[in-house]
This record gives sequence, structure tokens and C-alpha cells, in this order.
Amino acid sequence: MSRLRKEQLVGLLMVSPALILLAVFFLYPLVNSFYMSFHKWPLFGKPKWVGLDNYIFMFQDERFWESLKFTFVYTLTVTPMLFVVALGTALLCNAKAWGTTFFRSIYFLPVVMSFATASYVWLWLYSEMYGVIIYALEFFGFGGEKKNLNVWKTGTSSMWAVNAMVTWKFSGIQMIILIAGLQAIRDDYYEASKLMGASRWQTIWNVTLPLLRPSIALALILSIAGSIQAYEQFVIMTRGGPSNSTKTLVMHTVDMGFDYFKLGPAASLGVIIMIILFVLTVIQLRLFRKNY
Amino acid sequence: MRRYSSDWYWYYAINYTLVIIIIFPIYWTLISSFKKPSELITSEPTFYPHDLTLQYYDQIWNFDRLKRLQDTETEDSDSAGVEIESKFRLDGEGVKRPFINSAIVSAGTIILTIIVCTFGGYALTVLKTPLKNFFFLLVILPILIPGISLIIPLYKLLKDLGLTNSHLGLILIHTCGMLPLGVFMMRNAFNSIPSSLREVAMLEGSSELKIITSVMLPLAIPGLLTVMVFAMYVSWNDYIYAFIFINSPENTMLNISLMKIALGGSQFEMKWGSLTAGSIVSFLPIIIFYTFLQQYFVRGVTGSAVKE
Repeated sequence: MSRLRKEQLVGLLMVSPALILLAVFFLYPLVNSFYMSFHKWPLFGKPKWVGLDNYIFMFQDERFWESLKFTFVYTLTVTPMLFVVALGTALLCNAKAWGTTFFRSIYFLPVVMSFATASYVWLWLYSEMYGVIIYALEFFGFGGEKKNLNVWKTGTSSMWAVNAMVTWKFSGIQMIILIAGLQAIRDDYYEASKLMGASRWQTIWNVTLPLLRPSIALALILSIAGSIQAYEQFVIMTRGGPSNSTKTLVMHTVDMGFDYFKLGPAASLGVIIMIILFVLTVIQLRLFRKNY
Repeated sequence: MRRYSSDWYWYYAINYTLVIIIIFPIYWTLISSFKKPSELITSEPTFYPHDLTLQYYDQIWNFDRLKRLQDTETEDSDSAGVEIESKFRLDGEGVKRPFINSAIVSAGTIILTIIVCTFGGYALTVLKTPLKNFFFLLVILPILIPGISLIIPLYKLLKDLGLTNSHLGLILIHTCGMLPLGVFMMRNAFNSIPSSLREVAMLEGSSELKIITSVMLPLAIPGLLTVMVFAMYVSWNDYIYAFIFINSPENTMLNISLMKIALGGSQFEMKWGSLTAGSIVSFLPIIIFYTFLQQYFVRGVTGSAVKE
């Protein structure tokens, strides 16, 4: 056996675990999710071809539209919150000053906490009567005389409560992306704008932000894609309530598959989520390739 | 920003305020987990514990499963076993076993990811593997489709393979999810090592395996650490896979077992005490990783977003 031959064989051998894993746990489920979405899956017996029935069933289901709508509302509200905090902290950490490394590592700290743990932590902060946030809100006069403020009472207040947690937990990632973008901006731009007598806000508005556009787009797409996959925070903090008003798409999929055992419609929901996320990721990669 | 101006006071005032806001939820959880029930459940919260107690940690860690089961049995001795089981679950159980389970899955994911991604990255960079570029594209393909949209077929697959309710199933799924970032990172790491090093080792007659372990890997440690830290992050912090694929109390993961505490509520103050203590227990391993390997954390977590 020639040396080249041997090296080729060794290479194939070494890459094979990765390829096998990929084939079994990614490619096969990927193909199967389409197959499953076109079949009926009885608890016993063989799957039956039903064409688009699962999709029709899903689209006629009001819960689907409700969860889709809620997922979009959540995405549209949490994205600006995350972005404002991320941009603010990124600008603060990009200043040439003592302590920026320390501040950055603190702002990133909640990111490493799991979504589940962060949800449990904030569940306690929001706890009825004894949660410290509730206490603070009541101190500032919210909740009226009776002092029975409960953030989980309505769907809207539940969502904002979760949004606050997510902003705390997740803006660190976007901050890091924006800092990377800020550091790529050359000093000449700032010097030029200084020479022209621009104020700090004018510089940020007319120099920094336009040059930061690619990073901003990336951060926004990331936040949107992440919000569409929202699951843990709502399962743990609101459990979809009150009366299913905070149920996300992924929650609806899980319910469909594992509470009602309708695997076909659940698989078709998975396909819908996949398509939405696929489009977003393609945009994200294109943005990234074009600008870096 | 100009130096020696009042701007700097503002700069630090804003930063420190933000630091306090960011730290506060963690600090509050930490002190809550040490407060006595009477201090924990009060309309006048205290900002540091006046009386320290370890009772919640003791409760969630050393929860005696059998004892609790017997207590329930003596209460209503003629109820069916199923009811005892469900009641027992509602009251929440210890987190020792789930903690060990999570540690097993995380350790398994880290080890398997490092092995698979090292060999994969090596074969796709250094060696003259046929179809190299095609394989690489294939391996990073999962970036386009997050695993969460595949939960239903994944569940079906695990069921067919007999891997539901097993730690191995979770380890394999997490490792597969790690492939894009892992192979990418290792490929970059190997790429930056001059090929002459390998040629010298080959002239000395070293085998390919020997070259990887004694020549290449020591030089690829930053990449290796990034992969390791991110594998830990993904597996330790997972909720949805653990929730769907694991269905027996013995095999449950830490994050799921905390849900049982959060749902249970026979004793209000015990519930919040246990939940805060449990949150700290689940945060501890990852914060230790973060303290020592912070730069790799940042690289891994953002790298997962900005690959290519």
C-alpha cells in the first residue's frame, strides 16, 4: 500500500465517527421529519400516508395560530430590549478606560447560567408576596393598596416579566458580538469626526452605528432566531398560562407530540419551525460572509 | 472620551449600577438559599442573611427517598403504588442523583466531543482525506437547522434505537449538536500548526495517532479548551432534550428535577428555600468553569453564533 493510500484510509477512518453521528442523529431525523409529517402515526400498527392532512389539521388548529402569534409578539418585544441593553453595554465596554475587562466579564456572566436555572432564579424574584421584585414594585406603588401584585395574572404581564429575565440573561452574547464589531472600526474615523467637531452623540449616531451595521444585523438575527426557539423560559415560568396565552411554537409542538401523542401534526410543526429558522440562518450567514 | 472630566464619574456610575443590577439576582438567590424560613418568607426582606442555615442544601442533597416513601405509605397505607409515586414526585426529591446524572452526561459529552472533533478536524485538515471539502460542509450543515426543530423525529429515532431514558442517548445527541463548532474549532487549531512538525515526526517513524497526541494536540490546546467548555455549556444547560427523552426519576437531569421542586408546594418556605439552593447547585459547576476558562467561554458561545 502506498503512503498516500494509507493516509487516505486513515483520514476516512478518523472522520467516520463524526460522519456516522451526523448521519444517524442529524441527516436521518431531518429526512424523517418530512416523512413523518406526511404520515399518520397510530399508537400501534404501521404509519399510513395521509398527504397534507397533518398540515391541514395543524393550520385549522386555533392553538397553532395562537402560539405562532404569541411567539411573534414575544420576538418583536424582546429583540429591541435585548438590543438596547447589548448596544449600551457594548459601547460602555469599548471605551478606553480602566476596568472594561471586568465590566465585560460581569455583563457576560448571566449568559453562562442555563435558561432553566435563570428561570428558577427569577421565579423566586417574582414570587407572589415575597419576591424581591414584587416587593420593590409594591414599594413604588404598583399593585394598589391590597398589595397582591401578581405578574403571572395576565398573559401580557407574564410576557414582560419573562422578557425582563431574558434581557438580563441573554444580552451578554449580543454585547460580545457588537464589541467585536466596534473593535473592527478604525480609529481614523473617530479622529476625523473629532476634527470636524462632532459631539459624542453625533459621533455615535453618524460614525459608529453605520459602520457597526453588519454586527447589528447579526445580533438582531440571532435574537430573532433564538426567540422563535423559546421554550424553557415559558415552560418553567408561566407554564404557558394563564389559559395558554403564553404558549410558544416549540411548546405547542412538544404538547402535540408528547401530551396528545399526535406525532404527525407535531412533525409538521417541526417542519414549519425548521423552515422559519432555516431562512433566518441563511440570512445570518450571508450577512456574515459579506461583511467579514 | 476626554480625560479628567466629569464624564468619567458618569462612566463609572453607570457601569457600577449595571454591575449591581446584573449581580443582584444571583446574589439574592445565594443569600435566600442560606436564610432561615422565617427570614426567607417575610414582608420585610433583609439584604444579607442574619442567621445562616444549610437546611435547604441538606434537604435537597440528602433527601432520603425511602424514608419519604414510607412516610407517605403510613399516611394512607391502602393507596396504590402509582399514587405514592406521583405524590412523592410532587413533593420534590433530592438533587443528588440528578446532579450525578447531569455530571455523567456532561462528562460523556465532553469526552466524546473531544475525541470525535479532534479526529474529524485532523482528518479534514492535515490528512489527505478524499472528499475533504464535501465532508466539512456536511459536518457544519447542522448550523442551518437547529436541533429543536427535529425533536419529534429524534424522539422516534431514540425510541427505535432503545435509547430513550438513557444517558447515552443524550450524550450522542449533544455530541452531534457539537459537531459543527467542534470540528470547525479543531480544524482552525490544526491549520495554524506548521506542517513541518508532522513531517519531522513522520520521519522519526511515529504513527498518526502518536503524532496527534504528542505533537499536534499540545499545540491545539486553546481550540481544545473552547470545544470542551462549549460541550459543557451545551450539555449541562440543556433542558428540552432531558425533559423529553428521559422519563424515569432515577435517570432525570438536574434542571428537570428543579422543576419538580418548583411545582411542589406543600411547604411554601421549604419550596423557595430548596429552589434557590437547587439553582445555586446547578449554577456552581458552570460558574467554576467560567471563572477559570472565561476567554474560551466567550469564544465558544459567540463562535456558535458567528461560525464561518
